[in-house]
Amino acid sequence: MLYVKNLHKSYQSGNKSYPVLKGIDLSVADQEFTAVMGPSGSGKSTLLNCISCYIPFDEGTITLGSQQLKGLSEDALAKVRNEKLGFVFQDFMLLDGLTIRENILVPRIIRGKTGRDAEKLTDQLLALFGIEHISDKYPADVSGGERQRTAVARSLINQPLLLLADEPTGNLDSKSSRTVIESFENARDQLGASIFMVTHDSFAASFCDRVILLKDGRVYDNLKKEESQSAFQDRLLAAIKQMSSETV
Amino acid sequence: MMTMKLLEKKLQKADQKQAALYLFCNFVSLMIITAYSAMILSPTVLLVLPEGGDSRKQMTAVFVLALFGCTVFTVYASCLFFRKKSKQLGTLMALGASRKRLAPGLFREVLMLSGTSSLLGIFAGIPFVWLLWNGFRLFLVDSEEMTLRVDFRFLYLSAAFFVLVVACSCINAFRYLKRTNIMDVVREEHRNEPVKQLGRWCGPLGFLLVLAGAVMGYSAPGVYMNLFHAYPNALLNLLYAPVFAGLYLIMLHTVTHGWHIPRKNPYKNLISRSMMKFQGKQTVNNLLVSTVLIAGGSFAMFYLPTLGVSSVLETASRPFDYFYHYRQDQHIPGEKELSAMAQEHGMAIKDFREVPYLSLGMDGTTQMEDEGNAFHIEYIELLEEGKFFSETDYETLTGEKISVEKGSYYAISNDEETVTYYSNTDASKLTNMDTRHSLSVSFAGFAHYGLLSGRIGYYILNDQDYSQIARDLSAPWMGRCACFNADGTDNYAFAQDFYHTLVSSFGPECEYPDTYDRIYKTYLNERGETYWGDTDRMSRLSYDRPDTTDFRTYWAYMPKSRILDRSDFVKNFAVFLMMFLFIAIICSLAAMVIGYTRCLTIALNNRSVFEDLKRLGASPAFLRREIKSQAGPVFQFPGLMGMGIMYFLYFMILLANDGKFTTDEAVGMAACFGLLLIFAGIYFLVYRFTVKSMCRQLEIL
Repeated sequence: MLYVKNLHKSYQSGNKSYPVLKGIDLSVADQEFTAVMGPSGSGKSTLLNCISCYIPFDEGTITLGSQQLKGLSEDALAKVRNEKLGFVFQDFMLLDGLTIRENILVPRIIRGKTGRDAEKLTDQLLALFGIEHISDKYPADVSGGERQRTAVARSLINQPLLLLADEPTGNLDSKSSRTVIESFENARDQLGASIFMVTHDSFAASFCDRVILLKDGRVYDNLKKEESQSAFQDRLLAAIKQMSSETV
Repeated sequence: MMTMKLLEKKLQKADQKQAALYLFCNFVSLMIITAYSAMILSPTVLLVLPEGGDSRKQMTAVFVLALFGCTVFTVYASCLFFRKKSKQLGTLMALGASRKRLAPGLFREVLMLSGTSSLLGIFAGIPFVWLLWNGFRLFLVDSEEMTLRVDFRFLYLSAAFFVLVVACSCINAFRYLKRTNIMDVVREEHRNEPVKQLGRWCGPLGFLLVLAGAVMGYSAPGVYMNLFHAYPNALLNLLYAPVFAGLYLIMLHTVTHGWHIPRKNPYKNLISRSMMKFQGKQTVNNLLVSTVLIAGGSFAMFYLPTLGVSSVLETASRPFDYFYHYRQDQHIPGEKELSAMAQEHGMAIKDFREVPYLSLGMDGTTQMEDEGNAFHIEYIELLEEGKFFSETDYETLTGEKISVEKGSYYAISNDEETVTYYSNTDASKLTNMDTRHSLSVSFAGFAHYGLLSGRIGYYILNDQDYSQIARDLSAPWMGRCACFNADGTDNYAFAQDFYHTLVSSFGPECEYPDTYDRIYKTYLNERGETYWGDTDRMSRLSYDRPDTTDFRTYWAYMPKSRILDRSDFVKNFAVFLMMFLFIAIICSLAAMVIGYTRCLTIALNNRSVFEDLKRLGASPAFLRREIKSQAGPVFQFPGLMGMGIMYFLYFMILLANDGKFTTDEAVGMAACFGLLLIFAGIYFLVYRFTVKSMCRQLEIL
């Protein structure tokens, strides 16, 4: 589904160049729920933004499905973002002037395909994520958890190849966070979605099929879930502790 | 079925609140520019303000300033609108909408918002100027000249500004769309704009630059002319540039350091100063523009007090209620006729005195223009006309004894010698224009009699010299001065009757302004040259319009009447008063809008900071104090600097004019200070309203 090879990205400030990604290699399989974790400054969000086609990268390749993302025109990139990718942001990024239902439909509206099947799919997503009762409300009138579930539903309306989530539980309480993670699991199990999530939250990451640890712009470890969720979380925490001690 | 167009429409509807400030700024700026354009191109104003004169130049300079200020706050408001809009744009781009897709909708929205509000502003500008002008006529002063006539070509200026405003908005829209980094677009709302910091030396250096620029700019033309014997180029005005650089440094110091002494309490206003610093770029720019606008408004406000006070004091100090002079070839009412006229108005006249004078040619040196801007000093035998009394006649008229030595002459000035500029003090020869006999003379000093000082030069000769030079001089070259008092209470109707009768008694050969010089005309005509006063360059006066400002100010035989001059001063200068009052209102309004807009922006941009402070336990009183610390500098410093600089500049002008600071001028400056206090009061009310608005925005009780 997603192949990242030798990805390099640096930021310029004046005359100085600050490398953030120093040769990332990873992949996300079909219907796989993958998380990326790491300390602040490890390059998690930069990695996500490169895969999302939000920012250009310096070197390497990113292949989504069968399409390479480097060198695409702006229109082609916009098409990729709309049809092949779905996004869930930390601060939800819902449009305040639209209802919950309308927010979910936005990617379809951009695509220009808002027929009966789009309405049907919207109803399904509203039911799947338990937000039918707020479909005619506005984002300002609903809770954080409900907003994030709306964002998850929106990310799936175009049935993308890959759903990208940047700290989706960052602004939520534990109950709402659990609900959002359940939404991702539902999306994987019932809709066959592949999910790539950046997170600090080891609890959220412990529900994933695989967790990639980043350190200083490189892949430090690749942990596949082979045990229960709580045991996996313990293993994650141990790996993170190991990673941190190596820094010291 | 929802389409992209419907989606955009819905989002635009939700944007209305955010667009409110943008619409308001567009509307106000077009209203201001339309009203001002209507004024400066109004035939009413153009007829009264002399072409090429200082007042027209000032009016144009302030128009340019207002144009600049309005452009700044309009562009600023549009940037603010786009910053809010950027999150929406970024989200849509992140969800796969291409820039090409978003562009038409965005430009449509921008054109609609800026176009509608700007058009409404243009429409509002016309009743605005009509209301203001006629309000002045109703409550302040009315005169024949005050009927507002409008030349609708002013709409070209409004239309040009309209195009500029809409173009700036579209350029801004294009800039935001063109951003390559979507995350930057999404986070634009929260972007900081810190200003580059300089050390604490920048404030004091700023003051020095302002002073240096003001002095250099003011004195440079004189120095240039003395050194190069040429008129300076307009480029010399660039020497004023340090004033603006200095102002920028002062504002920068205000924003980045504040004016408190750091040693005493380094944490004083720490939060508000840090908020100010991280939004510093636009704040500094706004402070600068506001300062310049307030300076322009103050300049306009000071015009009337400085003119009016000296006029009022001069009128009050006259030793006679009435004074007039005339050529002896004119048939002018004498004492008998004037007494009869006074009786008709139920009053009498007393202390009537009348003495003759001679109009003689005076020699001297003058600047003659050469090619380019150069000039040279040339001696002219018949340079100008001087009116000469004998020492005895002078004493008869004024009651002041003077002894003039043979071969010398005195020039008459006021007590403080502030009008000596008009006197010829280097004449060496006086000429009888009929016989061309001349008299060698030298300047002996000034006699002091205010009633005889001013643009018309009066002089005193020794009795013998007077008799000698007067031989065979004809009536057109001789004149008489007369003065008298009202016996008891003076009568305005009598004064009007006296004035109009006097005017109608003169023949067409006297229908010219006091700058028309018969002597110099004769000199040039005898050399086969045309005198400029006989060309279109000379302002034309007409006996048919004796009550116009031009006639009352410039007619060569204009009498002085205390009651008429006192009562009609405001009427005579009505158009000037109106124009400068209007300028003051426009500039002040623009400065207040900028201040208000900037403060609201600061509130909106720092909303998260105030939320965090609330969570950290800050009380409403603390938060209100922080708000005042933000809003205070935005209003205080431009107000203090703008008014202060202009006050100082006016003081410098008055001092540099004649090297003296007279009592009249001191009273005038005191009147200006009073006006400043009134303006400061209004400005303070706007500040209070702004603070309340900020508290409301941030939901602080």
